[in-house]
Amino acid sequence: MINPFQEFKGRTSRRREIPLDQILRSKEETLSRILRGYENLLKNEAKDLVWLMQYSTVIKAYTIAEEGIKGIEYTAEDIEEFCYALDKTDQIPYLITGPAGVYISALCNHAKEEEIVLRLQDLNVKINLLGYRLPEGKRLVVEGNVGDFTGIGLDGGELVIEGSAKNYTGAGMKRGKIVVKNNVGFNTGHGMTGGEIVVGGRIKGLGKIVGGKIYEREHLIFPSEEMKPFFF
Amino acid sequence: MKANLKPMERILQKVWPRARKKHLYPQLPTPQLVEGGEEVALEIKSKKLQISASFLENIKAMMDPEEAVEAVLDHGIAHYMYCPWDFHTHLTLYSEAKKALKDKKMAQKATSYFLDVVANTYCVKERETKLPDLYRRLPKEGIQGVLASLYQKIWGVDLGVDEEHEEKVRRLARIPYLEKRRWRESIKKFAKVIEDFLEEELKAEQGQDRKAPNPLGEHSLDNYSLEEIDRGLRNFASTVQDLQEFKETVEDLKEELNERGYAMGGMGRGEGNPIDADLLYYMKLAENYTLPIRKLPMEKSGDLHPHSHSPWEVGKPFQDIDPWTSFGKIMPGLTQTWVRREGEVYGEMESTPDCLIIIDSSGSMTNPRERLSYAVLGAACACNAYLKNEARVAVYNFSDAFRGNKLLLEFSREREAIYRAICRYFGGGTALDLEDVVYLLRQADHPDIFIITDMQITNLEKLIEFFSGIENRVTAVHLGHNVHTARFREGLKKKRNISLFPVREKEDIPKIVLGKIREYWASPL
Repeated sequence: MINPFQEFKGRTSRRREIPLDQILRSKEETLSRILRGYENLLKNEAKDLVWLMQYSTVIKAYTIAEEGIKGIEYTAEDIEEFCYALDKTDQIPYLITGPAGVYISALCNHAKEEEIVLRLQDLNVKINLLGYRLPEGKRLVVEGNVGDFTGIGLDGGELVIEGSAKNYTGAGMKRGKIVVKNNVGFNTGHGMTGGEIVVGGRIKGLGKIVGGKIYEREHLIFPSEEMKPFFF
Repeated sequence: MKANLKPMERILQKVWPRARKKHLYPQLPTPQLVEGGEEVALEIKSKKLQISASFLENIKAMMDPEEAVEAVLDHGIAHYMYCPWDFHTHLTLYSEAKKALKDKKMAQKATSYFLDVVANTYCVKERETKLPDLYRRLPKEGIQGVLASLYQKIWGVDLGVDEEHEEKVRRLARIPYLEKRRWRESIKKFAKVIEDFLEEELKAEQGQDRKAPNPLGEHSLDNYSLEEIDRGLRNFASTVQDLQEFKETVEDLKEELNERGYAMGGMGRGEGNPIDADLLYYMKLAENYTLPIRKLPMEKSGDLHPHSHSPWEVGKPFQDIDPWTSFGKIMPGLTQTWVRREGEVYGEMESTPDCLIIIDSSGSMTNPRERLSYAVLGAACACNAYLKNEARVAVYNFSDAFRGNKLLLEFSREREAIYRAICRYFGGGTALDLEDVVYLLRQADHPDIFIITDMQITNLEKLIEFFSGIENRVTAVHLGHNVHTARFREGLKKKRNISLFPVREKEDIPKIVLGKIREYWASPL
């Protein structure tokens, strides 16, 4: 009897290596390096899964984050992948939105691109502290909503949020511009000394503002007759 | 240009066995050469690949027609062999694209392009194919240009496109097209990246009043047979996160489903009632569960016996007249005749009695048109089980029955009518009118009773009393645990014809055994 599979004897499946394989491999490698850096930050900064939001802790965390990302070649898309990786519990043991925001800010501030677009609409968590210390010459666009302390300590960059932000947006910013398409929460611009915050929707409340300008629905609301600069 | 089919047909006959062998003999019918248009090479109708002769005629000046046919076949076969593979995958991908784009037409287009990219990339990686040569010669306007740039980048071949849309192509190139388990998230990313091109394409189509052609064919319901659609919907119902996702997807495809002749009761019924997505969801979901029924030892005696009365009419035989109820008179309207039925006796043969489904649709129950209702799903599974065994099903759907919040459906085999009755939601108080139940029980011989409720019934004591007095087999399903379920269990614990099943989650439904009685008194086994 003729073996019907005879003609396939010795046939090997033709699995050609295509550039897509290389792209995906290098993407995975970069992501795992970024994740390692983040885990290192967590080990140092949030040993008990608790992270207190204080200015000194933010500064310290940012320094560690900068150390962690040293030597990693990454693009804006890698930062976006990292944000989604954080959202998935099977890829990283825990997500604490504070250190995560500091780490993402460090990644953005040291990225090669001048303009970084992060499409975070499908993210389940709202990351805090995005745009921390964004330097001059950088433009960070976030599609989706973000958490508290967005754009704090902004240092000349332009931060565009294509959604809403929560409390303390632009707190302590020195210069630069924050544009929020929708609404922002309480204490907006608390302690800011310069720069502009432009809000397309509603501002729930302003903080104690030293300098700079704040617009709500195209109206200048700080400085104004009702809102004078605060002196600490 | 009218194409000469003969030489092309010869080419197709020569290439088809080669292509089949290359793809390890897919179960596909022989492809067909059709006149077709010049712009679209391939159409797939119920698995039949139809290649446009005009397209081949047009491309033969630029490419060896044998190679062109082989490339088109590779593309078509890859859709069958790899992506989407089945209608369920197609629906799932469409549903994810819709979530990302929030627009039906754009989601359909994004799905179509995604399927092409996956199928083509699969061919290029896994098989010897001339697809890159074909793509080199296809038009590259709009989104086709972006896709060609993408192919150039991820296949590593020169397709003659400039490095345009760099940012988009860079993003698209990072998607793992050949990782099936990640297709759901991949299509979302893919759709978002090409969103503005899709918008432009749609605007242009509206202006020109014609659809922008996809050179290697569109992906629509035409690609699938009615059986595949039916199976796809069934699997989709069991994998979607919630009822709303199913509903939205089916509502989007309603017109196409109707055009394909897919109606409520399932495939192959031609012009049926318009699709009710909620009903279809429960129908398809229930098909994934099979509830066992304990059959009763019952057989037909073959003897006809007088069963009930009906008015005598001229032409009916005189021997059936019942003189006792006709006052001794032969007069239409007054005279009564006996309706005879074949008798049933208990014996060796087993069969399934009819079933009365009593379903609670009061305010404490989930509205089946908003969220997945376990009560409706359970009742639907019971309905399927009885209908499959050629029994009939009646429905008593109640909320505050004494205020008219009730629905009675007499014994029937009409699946759609039964589902409609089961899915009706009143959302009021909870009281059951036992007279209605008695009325329905009288319509059949010792029917089984399937009751599904959370037991928070105002007249629960009366129901317990009623069940204590009947011999019908009762399958009582209670949702959750509360004092009322405990009372029901306690009140009927001595009754051997009543079995109680708790349902806390979807997975508890298959544990229900219909018509189970604790001591099977007449079982021949």
